[in-house]
Amino acid sequence: MKALMSVGALIGVLGLLMLIGMIFGVIPSNTVRLVEGYMPMQVLSELAVFVAGFTGLSYLANSMGVAFPRFWQGVLFWAFIQTYLKFRIYPPIPFSVRAMYGTVSFVAVFMWVSANEEDWKKFRQPILNVLDANTGFHKALRTMYLILLPLLIGGFSFLTMKPSVDEPIELRTVHPAPPASTKVHGKTYTLQTSQNPYRVNLEGKFDQAYSNKLIVEQGMGRLMAPNANPWDDKAEGYLKYVREGGEIFFQNCHFCHGDNLNGRGLHAFAFNPIPANFTDPGTIAQLQETFIFWRVAKGGIGLPNEGFPWASVMPPWEQHLTTDEIWKVILFEYWHTGYYPRTWD
Amino acid sequence: MSKLRMNVKATPIIGAALGALILSATAVGLGHAGDLPEGFAKGELAPAPPAEMIEAGKRVYFTKCVWCHGVDGAGDGPGADRLWPRPRNFNQGTFKIRHTASGELPLFNYNEKTPDSGKNDLLDTVTHGLPGSAMPPWEGILTEEQRLQVLSFVTTQLVKDRKFTDKQSETQTILQLGTIKPAEPTEESIKKGAQLIVDKKCIECHGVEGRGDGNAFNLKDDWGFSIQPADWHKCWNFRGSRQDPYNVRNIFRTFSTGVNGTPMPSFADSTSVEDRWSIANFVNSLCERDAEGKPLGIDPLTDKPKINFVVPSAPVEGEISDDPENEMWKKQGRRYVAMGGQITHKPRNFVNRIDDIWVKSLYNEKNVVYLIQWDDRTKSVAEGKLPWAPTQVNVENFGVKEQAPKTGEEGSIAAAQNNYSVYNDGIAFQFPIKWQEIPAPFKPRYLWGDAKFNADILKWEADGSLRSFKGTGWDQDFEERDDFEEKVKLLKSEWKNGQWTVMISRPLKGDKDDYDEYTRFDIGKYIPMVFFAWDGHNGDAGRKMAVSAFYYTILQPPIPQEVYIYPAVIAVGVVFLEGWMLTRRANKKKGKVL
Repeated sequence: MKALMSVGALIGVLGLLMLIGMIFGVIPSNTVRLVEGYMPMQVLSELAVFVAGFTGLSYLANSMGVAFPRFWQGVLFWAFIQTYLKFRIYPPIPFSVRAMYGTVSFVAVFMWVSANEEDWKKFRQPILNVLDANTGFHKALRTMYLILLPLLIGGFSFLTMKPSVDEPIELRTVHPAPPASTKVHGKTYTLQTSQNPYRVNLEGKFDQAYSNKLIVEQGMGRLMAPNANPWDDKAEGYLKYVREGGEIFFQNCHFCHGDNLNGRGLHAFAFNPIPANFTDPGTIAQLQETFIFWRVAKGGIGLPNEGFPWASVMPPWEQHLTTDEIWKVILFEYWHTGYYPRTWD
Repeated sequence: MSKLRMNVKATPIIGAALGALILSATAVGLGHAGDLPEGFAKGELAPAPPAEMIEAGKRVYFTKCVWCHGVDGAGDGPGADRLWPRPRNFNQGTFKIRHTASGELPLFNYNEKTPDSGKNDLLDTVTHGLPGSAMPPWEGILTEEQRLQVLSFVTTQLVKDRKFTDKQSETQTILQLGTIKPAEPTEESIKKGAQLIVDKKCIECHGVEGRGDGNAFNLKDDWGFSIQPADWHKCWNFRGSRQDPYNVRNIFRTFSTGVNGTPMPSFADSTSVEDRWSIANFVNSLCERDAEGKPLGIDPLTDKPKINFVVPSAPVEGEISDDPENEMWKKQGRRYVAMGGQITHKPRNFVNRIDDIWVKSLYNEKNVVYLIQWDDRTKSVAEGKLPWAPTQVNVENFGVKEQAPKTGEEGSIAAAQNNYSVYNDGIAFQFPIKWQEIPAPFKPRYLWGDAKFNADILKWEADGSLRSFKGTGWDQDFEERDDFEEKVKLLKSEWKNGQWTVMISRPLKGDKDDYDEYTRFDIGKYIPMVFFAWDGHNGDAGRKMAVSAFYYTILQPPIPQEVYIYPAVIAVGVVFLEGWMLTRRANKKKGKVL
C-alpha cells in the first residue's frame, strides 16, 4: 500500500512541477502538448494522474505524521481544478463554462469533505477555530479575513461592473437543418433520395459497401488501405473518382480546410469561426452525403440564419464547380478522412 | 530561463536535464577546426533507410503528399499551380531549412526519431511544417514513425539528382547548434547587430527596417520563380521558425547555413559566431511584440498571433492628432487583424500578400479615427488612369482574373508573381449602416453587405483617394455618396520602408440623427466591422483582395460613477454580514438563542 501510494505521490509531484513549469515558462510550454482529437482523453487522464498524485501525497503526509488539514485539502484541490481549466486547456474555455465546472467540482469537493460526520467535523473545525479566535494566531487570522473579505468582494464586483471590451460570445448552429431539396445548376435534388453518382462499384452501380472497403484506414495517420491507391494507373471506378475529387480539393478547398482536411489551411487563421475540421467525428461523419452536397453547392451564403451566413466565407461552390465535381470532392472527403457517410436507414 | 526550445523532451527529471545541458553548452565550447566555418563540424552521412520503410513511406506519400508534391516529387501535384511559394520539387535534392553548410543535403537519418534534436532537419520540417507556405505541421497527424517512413521514400525515390548516401559526392558539415552558447540579447549585442546588417548588406534585400522591401522584385529561386525576402517583423512566418518563432536559435541557424535554392547565402564563412548571434538577436528584436515588449501570444492551432476580435476606440478630448507618434496614439493599444485571401467569389485571391494589419482607434465628440498600419513590400500606384470607375467591383472584364486550376509551371501563380499589371494599394473597412436595427448576432454579409442590410464602406487607395460607398452585395457595384468629401478625412497616408501608415477620420453620425446614409456610432455598443486590403503589385483589384473576419469596434465609454459606488456598498454589506455572523456565533457559544 505504502509503495503504491509513494508512486502515486511521485507522479503527482512530477506532474504538478511540470504543469507549473509550463504555465510560468520555466520549461517549454509545449513540453507535453495537447493533441487535437485526443484532447478530452488527455485532459481526463491528466486529471486522473493528479488525483492519484494528491491521494498519494496526502497518504504519505499522513503516515509521516504531518497530516494536511482536510479543510485545506478541499480548498486547494478545488483551486487546482480551476487553475487547470483556466491555464491548461486550449483553446481557452469561456468563463461561463468554467463557472459550471467550478460549481460541479465544488459540489464534489463538498460531498467528499462531508461524507460522514467525522470528516465534516474535521472540515468545519478550522472555520470554527477562526470564528471563535481563541488563540492569538486565530485572532490575527480572523482580523485579516474580516478586512480582506469585503475588500476582495468589493474589488471583484468593481472588476465585473467596469465596462469591458471583451469579445461578445455568439453561438452558432454548426449543422443547421437542411432543406428538403436543393436546386443546383438547374436540376433539383431531393436530399432524402439523392445519391452520389460516383459512389459506384466496378459495374457502375451505387454500392456503399464497396466504397467503404476502399476508404483510408482509421487510426493515426489515416493512411490509404493497402492496394487501394487512387494514384495507381490501373485505378478504376470509385478510386479513380476519388483521385479526381482530390485534385479538385487541392485546387480549391485546401486553402481553408487544410491539406489534412482538418480545417487548418493557408487562410484558415484569419477566419472566425475557423473552417470545418472534417477529421473531427462531429462533422461529415455525422452527416449524409446529400447534406454535404447542399452545403457545398450553396456555401455560407446559403445557410439559414442560425448558421450565421453573414460570417461564413464558404463559397457557394456552384459558382465555381460543376455538379459532377462537387460529388467527386465529397467522395474524396469521405475517402481521405476514412469516414462513411450516414445513410437514411 | 527563457522559453527556448531545448533539446529536451519531456523527462521526469527536467531540472537535472536542463542543468546538464547548460553545463555541456559552456564546457564544450565551439566546434572550430581546420578550414571549417566557425561553429561547424564534420559529420558522417547517415545510413540508407531499409526497404520496408521506403515501401511504407510510399503509402504515406500517396495518401498525404502527392496532392501538392506530385507523383514524381517534382512539386507539380494538382494543387501546385495555385500555390505561391510552389510546393518543393524534390528531384534536385535542394532543401531550404538545414543544419548543414550551404549547398549540402539536409540532415536525414531514419534512426533519429526525436524531432528538434538538431540531427534530423527533414523530420523537423515535416513535424513543424513551413509557416507562410501551404506545408502544414504533420505532428499529431502522422506518427513519428510514419514521418520517418515518408522521408525515407522521398529521399531515396524522389530526390533524383543527388544521393543521400553517396560518399563520393556528398559531405555533411553540421552546425553545432546544440553546443554553441547563444549570446544574450543585450542592448550592446542588438546594437552591434543593427550595424552588422548594414555592413553585411542584409538590408539590400530585407530593407532598411527589415520588412523585406529591399530588392523585392528581382529575386528568383533556383527554379526561376519570384521569391520575396523575409519580413523580419513577422517571425511566425519564417519558414524555419519550427513553431517556435521567437527562438533566436532558428534565426542563427538560417543565417549560418543560408537557404539553399534561394539568393539567401550562408554567412558562416564571413561572419564570426559572435557576430552571427548579434545579427540573430537584432533580427529577433524586430519581430512584433506587445506593449510591454513581450513576444505576442501565438495561437497553437494556427501558429499565428492570437486574435482578439474587438477593436476598441478610446475617448480623447479635443482634436485627434494625425501623428502616430503623438502621445495619445502611443497610449492606445493596437490590435492584430488577420487577413486571408478572398476565396469566396470570383476572382478568388489564392495568394494574399497582406496577411495582417494593425489597427488603433480614437474618438472625440465628432469623429472616430482609425490608424491602420501594415507591411507591404511594394508601394503600388497604378500608372495612368484605371480603366474602371472607383465604384466598380466587377472588374474581371479588365483582366483581373483568378488563377486557372491547371496550367503547368509556366502559367502557374508562382510564375505570375511580380509580373502583374500594377494597380493601387488599398485599404477599406465596412460597417452595417443600420446595425441598431439588426438583432445580435445577425450581421449583413461580410462581403459588402446585402440587399436588406447595406454596408457603409470607406475605401482608401494609394493614389491618395478616400471614398465613401454604400455596399449592397458582393456582386453589386458600390453606390458613391455625394457628400462624403466634406465628411471623411484622410489624416495621413505614407509608405515608408515597406510599411503603409494610413489614418482615416469619419464622423460619428450623419447630419441628421437618422442613419439611412451613414452608420451612426453609439458609445459602448459593439459595431461589426470588416477590413479589406489590396496589394497593387499582386494584381489586386475589385474582389481580388485580402479580407478579415468580422471584428467588432466599440467606442469605449468613460467609466460611469455607479461602477465606483456599488462595489463600495457591497463591501459595506459584507462587513455587516461578518458582524452578524460573529455575534451569532458568540451568542450560540454562550448558550443564548436569538
